[in-house]
Amino acid sequence: MAAVNEDRMQAVEQLQRDLAVTTETVEHPNGLCMVTASAKGEIRALHLHPALLQQGPRAVGEIVTETVRLATNAAVQTSFNKMALALGDGMAIDVESIAGDSPFRSTWNPVAPPKSAAEAAPAERRPRAPIVEDPDEDAFFENPFGRR
Amino acid sequence: MDDDVERAARKVRDVEQAVSQHVARSGPVTGRASSPDGAVTVVATPGGPPRQIEVSASALRMGPHGLAAEIMRVAEKAQRNAASRLHQTLERVVDPRELTELGFVRERDEDEFGWRR
Repeated sequence: MAAVNEDRMQAVEQLQRDLAVTTETVEHPNGLCMVTASAKGEIRALHLHPALLQQGPRAVGEIVTETVRLATNAAVQTSFNKMALALGDGMAIDVESIAGDSPFRSTWNPVAPPKSAAEAAPAERRPRAPIVEDPDEDAFFENPFGRR
Repeated sequence: MDDDVERAARKVRDVEQAVSQHVARSGPVTGRASSPDGAVTVVATPGGPPRQIEVSASALRMGPHGLAAEIMRVAEKAQRNAASRLHQTLERVVDPRELTELGFVRERDEDEFGWRR
């Protein structure tokens, strides 16, 4: 048991060193901002596309904030994955019971369903052409598909 | 092992409760920093990504590289400020040495561009 604990302590120390240097790079879905961030939300690199600046100061602030959040979440998830790899899934689940769900788990089992950014487009509906009941065959040949 | 985990979880819950009661009274802990000319202002959370980044219209003249560098500089400062404020807020309920070890270092001097209320 003592040896197992010693192994775990060493694994934890190694993990702490790994996590301190874990970063992830994420590009905003609009392609105008790229951020490298640590799991603690530190911005290690930031690239702004010139076109982003043309969208005005408010857009720049919001897009950068959102991209840093996405990169931080990705880095936290990578940290969880490294931890699960180093300590085993059982230990990772224990840590989640203390520290809270990993971003991946929170995203896939959200408390509230995520709201789609874009309003879902309504399904295209085309009214069906009314069936024409016309005993007159001439009328059929004049309008073979029932169009009016 | 399970006992250890259970004990750790219980300790975390106890500290969490003490912290959340404290924070409920004092409000959420954030840090703030601005460029000297007000080009960039960042509201940061301790140990997390920035909550808000504000860019002034004139800051856009810095160009993409200059503005990116300034956002990084101000964000780092805001996060240090948030960590320091968290340390000050929690040192009465959590051992200050543990806070420092977690990376929430108390700043000695908060200059004029640091947190302002």
